[in-house]
Amino acid sequence: MLYDASLNFIFWCPTKVVFGQNTALDVVMEVENLGCKRALIVTDRDLIKNTDIPERIKKALGKLSAGIFSDVEADSGVHIVNQGAKFGKEVGADCLVSVGGGSAIDTAKGIAILLKEGGKLQDYVGFQILTRPQTPHIVIPTTAGTGSEVTYIAVIKDHEEGRKLLFGDYHILPNVAILDPRMTEGLSPRLTAATGMDAMCHAIEAMHSLQREPIADGIALHAIRLIKEFLPKAVENGKDMLARGQMLIAANIAGGAFSNAQVAVVHALAHSVGARFKVHHGLANSILLPPCLRYNADVCGEVYLDVLSALGVNIEGIQPDQAGEVAADKIIEFTMKLGLPQRLRDVGVPEEGLRECSELALSDGAIIYNPKLISESTEVLQIYQQAW
Amino acid sequence: MAIAFPSVEWVEEYKKQINLSEGYKKAGATWTAGAVALVTLAKPEIGLNEDFGIWLDLHQGVCREAKVVTAEEAQKAPFCITGDYARWKQVIKKELEPVKGMMQGKLKLKGDLPTIVRYVKASQELVECSTRIETKFLDE
Repeated sequence: MLYDASLNFIFWCPTKVVFGQNTALDVVMEVENLGCKRALIVTDRDLIKNTDIPERIKKALGKLSAGIFSDVEADSGVHIVNQGAKFGKEVGADCLVSVGGGSAIDTAKGIAILLKEGGKLQDYVGFQILTRPQTPHIVIPTTAGTGSEVTYIAVIKDHEEGRKLLFGDYHILPNVAILDPRMTEGLSPRLTAATGMDAMCHAIEAMHSLQREPIADGIALHAIRLIKEFLPKAVENGKDMLARGQMLIAANIAGGAFSNAQVAVVHALAHSVGARFKVHHGLANSILLPPCLRYNADVCGEVYLDVLSALGVNIEGIQPDQAGEVAADKIIEFTMKLGLPQRLRDVGVPEEGLRECSELALSDGAIIYNPKLISESTEVLQIYQQAW
Repeated sequence: MAIAFPSVEWVEEYKKQINLSEGYKKAGATWTAGAVALVTLAKPEIGLNEDFGIWLDLHQGVCREAKVVTAEEAQKAPFCITGDYARWKQVIKKELEPVKGMMQGKLKLKGDLPTIVRYVKASQELVECSTRIETKFLDE
């Protein structure tokens, strides 16, 4: 039985979603709908250096543009949020348009807090402590993976203290997500594959999470179907707008699923190798997913049968206690076709670093949602060793 | 005899129960992250006219001090968890797991979630300690 009579949950996903080719250029309508007049574009250095996307958005905003803040970098930090908020105040921004991947979106979530509340970003570390809506925020993702456009979490690094600050608040959920397939067409095959596997992990993790529930399950299953069908196509041909669009939708709904049901052991382990060895988050998830499926196999048989079905596998004859193993094999087969690395050793993680990562993973918020209680670093280490 | 929640007496009993708990002593043995404050929001219709803060000075598996503080003082703790009466009642009755409550906005956490997560067993033991108090709820 997938649920029991004690089921209780909150599903909260109020972000307006706008989908279609060239819809990013309609951003001005969304700014107006929010009653705003000065939109600050928040984007990252690579995007402004290598593409004309931020400039196109600025042009589309016309008089409503308050300028571009383009100092976001990977692992965005408190200092960058502070700079962005300072710039936002100087130019009189009353709303934010983040253009980019997870870092740009999370940075904008931080700026949204400081523009509204003032003070220091560190004052707002925690969960659900904001008491009012923050600066309106429109997101235009340029990757299809993070789902950050529909999540209430922001992770921002305090480089001085050497730690990641976690902000979780319904008030930082973006108001609008504009999913424009054209915005992702320049993404390389490798990044397309890695970010797409991030979305796959969001979907599968939402399903095996302790906080799983039927609404999140439903959309997670559809996300898996879409990723199975369209990620290989988007990797093979980046100009395939159907595939690009369906992947944006998959990432978005997987984001909605995990924002409510949470993620679990895969993410806890991926965050740690990311923090310690700078492994791309999607790649880390992709590598760690199979051993984590095997780890949870004995308690997630029925869930993994559903996952297999969504992956297009004929589950007739597969027993629940075999489902985790089969799902792990199918994921490996899938990621090999995508050309992704299969081992942590292939992405710069030294074997001697696994023990430290195991300790780190135990402090990750995601680990408490794993269907099997993990309280000892030795259990985590075993999974890492399988993935190494 | 049942003790009203929240009250000075309840807080004193809570400290006693924490320090009697072998489970907490073990799970919180390495906790050095400082005090934890629990704030119950005012609910005048049941006689709780002001926010009620409980300050727990927790250190290495021991509750060194438990006292009643104002909501303002509670905010000075490294970890401050705030909720309305019904939510805390659910926690004490083990109907609401605190970390899940924080994620869903039923409880508000000011402080570093990863630290709390690292000590999730200790937080469960603290909840367990509260269930050992014969509690009289003001709304019953």
